[in-house]
Amino acid sequence: MRENIWNEVKVDDEYSIELKDLNRSNFVRYAGAGGDFNPIHHDQTFAEKAGLPTVFGMGMFTAGVLARVPSEWFGPTSIRRYSIKFTSRIWPEDTVTFHGRVTRVYEEDGVSHADLELKATSQKQEDLIRAEATVRDWKP
Amino acid sequence: MAQIQPPGFPIERGKIHEFANSLLDDDPLYHDLNAARAAGLPSVVAPPTFSSAAAFFSDPNARGPSMKGLDMRFLLHGGQELVFERPIFAGDELHSEPGETTSWEKEGRRGGTMKFIKNEMVWRDQAGEIVLRVFNTLIQTAGVVKD
Repeated sequence: MRENIWNEVKVDDEYSIELKDLNRSNFVRYAGAGGDFNPIHHDQTFAEKAGLPTVFGMGMFTAGVLARVPSEWFGPTSIRRYSIKFTSRIWPEDTVTFHGRVTRVYEEDGVSHADLELKATSQKQEDLIRAEATVRDWKP
Repeated sequence: MAQIQPPGFPIERGKIHEFANSLLDDDPLYHDLNAARAAGLPSVVAPPTFSSAAAFFSDPNARGPSMKGLDMRFLLHGGQELVFERPIFAGDELHSEPGETTSWEKEGRRGGTMKFIKNEMVWRDQAGEIVLRVFNTLIQTAGVVKD
């Protein structure tokens, strides 16, 4: 989390993460950690029978990495709402940019909040996910 | 597969560590108990999408929508919305209950008729308080969707 984020945040602030060459091993590791064993994400034979060139990554893998934008930026305890829409699939060897922009900064019940617009974009300039998040200055 | 007993979703430090690593996320608040305690937290935090790992612990009484009649080859995940009342920490013991499920159909341009299924899961902690609501949208297409 950035120092003093809640004193400094303003509309149009941005934050990005880039991950190069995401591959089948990333998908398989996420399957093991997250429990999505749909064979379309790890079984080449199954994928080909379904008419696809190869396996593709889980949407929730990409969504999980995209959630790093609000959690690294505002801290993992700040997430109030995270809403994602899958628009395209992630394929092996994709390089993906995970990007966030602040759309609104406000107070609610005396607590600082910010709304963010988020997206994951491949090297083909294709949006894989479009998302929104609300973060807040949550205190233990 | 065997079910965990008693049924529920135990939030475990090792599973959080593994899950965060699978997302290539090295934030100490996911991996380091001392860093979490120094930040005033009861334990390490679960990453925002950690509720997906509940697939491992699904309680037969609190499953999502029935997958019966859905063709796994042509099933897409349309989206998800998570609404947190508070962060989730290692040591929490969560239970889910299904909320409302709705479905509707739409003519798609690329894959024929599409069926949308949207369901809600409500997660409560060991004190019975709601900590998280999860809304999932699944899309059943008639065939392979070409990119």
